[in-house]
Amino acid sequence: MQIRQDLLIDELLALTEKAIESANTFKKLPLRELNFKKTSEEWSILECIEHLNLYGDFYLPEIENQLLKSTTKSNNLIFKSGILGNYFANLMKANNGKITKMKSPKDKNPSNSELSILTIERFIKQLEKLKSLLQQSRTVDLTKLKAAISLTKFIKLRLGDTFRFLIYHIERHILQAQRNMTS
Amino acid sequence: MSKEITFTQKLLASFEKAAVEKVVQKGDFLIREGEIERNLYYIKSGAVRVFYLSEYEEYIIRLGYDGSFINSLSSFITAKPSEFYIQAIRKTTVKAISKDKLSQLVHEDEESQRQYISLLEQLITQQIDREIDLLITSPTERLQRVLDRSPLLFQHVPLKYIASYLRMKPETLSRIRNS
Repeated sequence: MQIRQDLLIDELLALTEKAIESANTFKKLPLRELNFKKTSEEWSILECIEHLNLYGDFYLPEIENQLLKSTTKSNNLIFKSGILGNYFANLMKANNGKITKMKSPKDKNPSNSELSILTIERFIKQLEKLKSLLQQSRTVDLTKLKAAISLTKFIKLRLGDTFRFLIYHIERHILQAQRNMTS
Repeated sequence: MSKEITFTQKLLASFEKAAVEKVVQKGDFLIREGEIERNLYYIKSGAVRVFYLSEYEEYIIRLGYDGSFINSLSSFITAKPSEFYIQAIRKTTVKAISKDKLSQLVHEDEESQRQYISLLEQLITQQIDREIDLLITSPTERLQRVLDRSPLLFQHVPLKYIASYLRMKPETLSRIRNS
């Protein structure tokens, strides 16, 4: 996959903005609905959000560190996706608003954590941080810069793919959370 | 010192008279980020934590329990949105007086004004102590300083919140407490 970097960043910013809107909608729901689980295996809205917070805890500082390390500045960049990065990003991506079931790593399982309205407020802060990181990325080379992934220490992905993976992953779990809304 | 107690007593007396008593259930908030603080609270029973929420963590900056005065102070003074949350750690009963009422009390006579100033001076000293706490690297020493100021802390507040206040992991706090 190959795309003008500014267009990619615009697309990802728009998705992040949409996620903020959804989070603000969740914030207005009664706690009972936020904690509601259709079955004991499925996640509640708050569990979906906390799952995303746990990913943010890993990826946001990692992305920020990589951006701080970058020294070059350029414009009119083209982002070229890596084979693996493209695979992971597409795996997360929703298809026409539809998502398929996937297993999550144990350390990113939100069940049994203490969840409240603060879970959503923290999530919104993470999304604001993500927006700022995307803005800061406009003039750095997202193909050359690499970032670690949470699954294994042995692989690094191109920063553009990290952003795609992270943001498509957010979109996926927000769709999952929305299926729990009764209204 | 006795004069300061007098103003505190006067304050307490007016808290007693103040009709507004509020019961906050565990997990509920006295104030949330973004709201403007209009009250000063006196905790009759229970415990609260004042914290700042970042994108990664909740940082507790203050704990209050039976007999504490508490609010989101900078917002109270400036009337700007609060940067902090105040949440009940367990069921908490507070008495509230408004900013206007407090100001009325302070300016009643010269003596009250003087005592109020010395109360604020105490508060500034406590804030500096807290700044030093955070600069100290040794967790043991950090804990000791806080216990010297608030010997009953562990009777009122669960360990995990004290750990966050002391900027250490609950495991670390529990280890140094037992050694």
